[in-house]
Amino acid sequence: MDIESIIRKTLLEVAEMADCTLVDNIDEHTVLLQSGLDSLGFAMLVAQLEEDLAIDPFSEMEMAVYPRTFGEFVAVYRQSLSQRD
Amino acid sequence: MNKLVVVTGASRGLGLAIVKQLLKHTVIKYDVLAISRSKSDELLQLEEEYSTSDKRLHILNADLLKLNNIQALCTKMVKDYGRPYALINNAALGFDGVLATMHNSQIDELLSVNVQAPILLSKYLLRPMLLNRKGRIINISSIIAKTGFNGLSVYAASKAALEGFSFSLAREVGKAGVTVNCVAPGYMQTDMTQSLQGEKLESVKRRSPLGRLATPDDAASAVLYLLSEEANAITGTVITVDAGSTA
Ligand SMILES: NC(=O)c1ccc[n+]([C@@H]2O[C@H](COP(=O)([O-])OP(=O)(O)OC[C@H]3O[C@@H](n4cnc5c(N)ncnc54)[C@H](OP(=O)(O)O)[C@@H]3O)[C@@H](O)[C@H]2O)c1
Repeated sequence: MDIESIIRKTLLEVAEMADCTLVDNIDEHTVLLQSGLDSLGFAMLVAQLEEDLAIDPFSEMEMAVYPRTFGEFVAVYRQSLSQRD
Repeated sequence: MNKLVVVTGASRGLGLAIVKQLLKHTVIKYDVLAISRSKSDELLQLEEEYSTSDKRLHILNADLLKLNNIQALCTKMVKDYGRPYALINNAALGFDGVLATMHNSQIDELLSVNVQAPILLSKYLLRPMLLNRKGRIINISSIIAKTGFNGLSVYAASKAALEGFSFSLAREVGKAGVTVNCVAPGYMQTDMTQSLQGEKLESVKRRSPLGRLATPDDAASAVLYLLSEEANAITGTVITVDAGSTA
C-alpha cells in the first residue's frame, strides 16, 4: 500500500476512535483543521502512524513544521520514508 | 492482562517504594518498567524475586539528562514491552544552595531532569495511551512548589512548572481517557534529603500536626490510589502527602 492510502486508512480508523466525523471527499487541498478531525485526533493519527511505520517525521525534523493541508501532511511522511530507505 | 507502569527514578527512595507497592498489589496486576541511571541492589533483588511470578519487573538504565535520547527510549519501551498504562515521573535532582552562587550548569541540569525530561516522557508515552483511550500520568511534585524553602528556589521552580504542566495537560487529554495528576510529598527521609539532620529535622517533625514525617510509602500509596479505577474521576489536581505540615 502506498503511503497516502495508509494515511487515509489510518485517518478513518482514528476518526472513529476519536469520535470525529470527517468531511466527505478529503483531497490534497483539504485544510487539515477543516477535515473534521480535532487536534487530539491528529495526535492520535501521528501516534498510530508512528506505531505502524516506526517513523515520526515531526520529531525528526529540525524545525517545527505544521502541514496545513492533507497533501502537505502526506508529503511530510513520504519525504521521511524516502530518507529512511 | 497486566497493566504496565513506567516509573522513573526507581532505584531508591520514593521511586523504589512505588515499584515495591506496584508489584505487591493484589487486586490489580502491574508489570513495572523501572528507569534510573544505576541498578540498585534492592531493585536487582526485586527483579530476581519476581522473575518467576506472573508480574514482571524490567529494569532499564537511562540518563534522563540526555534529553535527545528520550524519544528513542520511549519507542524502545513500547516496542519491547507494549503500550504502557501509566507513567510516573518521579526521578529528580534536588540540588540545594542559594541562587546567587549556584552554578549555571546545575540550574540547567536540574531543569532538564526535573522539567524537560518529564515533559518529553509524557509526550512520547502519551501517544500509546491515546491509542488505548486509557492512561495515567502522575508527576511527583513537592510541597515546596507552593510553600517556598530557603535554598531551594530552582528546585521549587521545577516543581511548580511540573504542576502547571499537569493541569493543562489534564485538560488536553481528558477526552481520551487519560488522567494527569501530581503527588506532592512533604519532607521524606531519603538520599535526597540527607543534608537535613539533627535539630532542624526534629523541628520539622515537631511542627507537623501528626508529629512525624511522611514516608516514601505514604507518598507511594497516593500514587497507587491515583492509578486505581477508583481514581477515574480525578484529574488535573495535586494530592499532598505531608503528615499535615502545610495545613
Ligand atoms: N525526599 C523528599 O523529602 C522529597 C520531598 C518532596 C518531593 N520529593 C520528590 O520525590 C521524588 C523522589 O525523590 P527521592 O527523595 O526518592 O530522591 P532520591 O532518593 O534522590 O532518588 C532519586 C531517583 O531519581 C533517579 N535519577 C536522578 N537523576 C536521574 C537521571 N539523570 N536519569 C535517571 N534517573 C535519575 C535516581 O536514580 P540514579 O541515581 O540511579 O539515576 C533515583 O532513583 C523526586 O521527584 C523528589 O523531587 C522528595
